[in-house]
Amino acid sequence: MIDAVSSLSPSVGAPAAVGGVGTAAVRPGAASATVDAGADFGAMVSQLASHAAGVVRNAENISVAGIQGSATVQQVVEAVMSAEQTLQGAVAIRDKVVAAYLELSRMQI
Amino acid sequence: MYDPLQATMRVGASGLEAQSRRLRVIAENMANAHSTGRTPGSDPYARRVITFESQLDETADANLVRVASVEQPRASFRVEHMPGHPAADANGFVRMPNVDLVVEAADMREANRSYEANLQAIRQAREMITMTLDLLRTT
Repeated sequence: MIDAVSSLSPSVGAPAAVGGVGTAAVRPGAASATVDAGADFGAMVSQLASHAAGVVRNAENISVAGIQGSATVQQVVEAVMSAEQTLQGAVAIRDKVVAAYLELSRMQI
Repeated sequence: MYDPLQATMRVGASGLEAQSRRLRVIAENMANAHSTGRTPGSDPYARRVITFESQLDETADANLVRVASVEQPRASFRVEHMPGHPAADANGFVRMPNVDLVVEAADMREANRSYEANLQAIRQAREMITMTLDLLRTT
């Protein structure tokens, strides 16, 4: 059972790794973020979170540029929408995996 | 592999930008529909035309659109009889810009429709992404 849950994480962690966002600056405390996906549950969650944080930060930068007039409305909307989707995806996956672990902890021993 | 739905949104965004640039050129043409020269015999404002071309986006593996050029097509200026105008020649004729407001209005309408179409593509892609993510939420 545990293997089945853990095997979910490589496929989940892979898209976050593809994004190639600098994770160190976003989450200094999470040194395990550089551990390859699927190593453990905490690393996977922190990788998801840091990738989402990076995308949101990019959206913030472009939004500020848009207010200053150096980015177009379309660029701002595109960046913010991309951040919104990344966040939604990360939250949905986190909820799913956390629910699976909770399910395990409720098992009758 | 790049997410095709994300690529769709990127393509749509490039379309939005291209159409907004087109609208800018149209607005310039309309605003300068009566911009003449200052001296007798000088050229008035010449109408501009925007052209687009496709551009391959390597990371998304998709064809974006971008502005290829903003050109001034060769067209004769019409003349109006306005004696006393600074740009009037000896016979009192002033060369006026070759801007036809009806043509520009039609072009503007087309730019608007094209913008809407691109917006719709983005909206559709976003909806499909959200629908797919919803699979995770509801058990």
